[in-house]
Amino acid sequence: MREKLLATEPTIDLKEHPIMLTLQDSISGNGFLARITISGRSLMRMEDDGQWWMYGVRPAAIAASGANIEEAFLRFRSRYKEILFDIAQESTTFEDFASEVERFFNESDADNEDERLWEQALSAIRSGTCQPPTPFANLPRRAPETHPSFIKIERVDAEAKDVSLRPSDNVADSYAYSFPKAA
Amino acid sequence: MSVSVSFADVLRMLEHCANGFDIRRTTHGRRVAYNGKVFPDVPKFDDIQIGHIRKMVRHLGINQECARQHGCY
Repeated sequence: MREKLLATEPTIDLKEHPIMLTLQDSISGNGFLARITISGRSLMRMEDDGQWWMYGVRPAAIAASGANIEEAFLRFRSRYKEILFDIAQESTTFEDFASEVERFFNESDADNEDERLWEQALSAIRSGTCQPPTPFANLPRRAPETHPSFIKIERVDAEAKDVSLRPSDNVADSYAYSFPKAA
Repeated sequence: MSVSVSFADVLRMLEHCANGFDIRRTTHGRRVAYNGKVFPDVPKFDDIQIGHIRKMVRHLGINQECARQHGCY
């Protein structure tokens, strides 16, 4: 009976894909060195131009495209770093830099559409009515509940106070499909 | 294939749809401010993929119908 129900359940053709990002950068500024680590969110979809687009949700003010999802992520990652470079260029102090980077990370879209679509896609996947398509099959899965979004901005140069530098602080770039429920 | 718009068309759209906007060049791109928000991800080229401009329109809260009339949404 259950099998019969599953066979007749409507399935959703998923267009929007909720992605979680982890990125770390070391950025030289005017008289300081900063380390920025983020756990962010983005939305991927195939647009009518035939490209995969990665739209920022947190940070929101960024977008990049590619012929496949890997290329879209690499371009998104590159643009994110360039935006940090530009902010460093325009900041006279570490405090100015940190303040502007935090604003960039936390400022949401005026219409919040991409964030709403991100939540909607996650709910659709978890309802069991659709599965991530092939391009996303090999991505790791992460639960947003156990990987909340955050930004950490540290001064790590000789002027920094109370900073201890350890190999365990290093964070590899990664992106993952938002999927399992938290235990 | 990608759908793109010229920077001149983007500027025309901003002038008509985003009264009071501010735009300036940065080392790696262009930064647009409007409606109390900042969009730092407009490419520095003359030919711009429309996905960047659609995202800018959503982020800054520019009237989408107005942007569409200028071929930017």
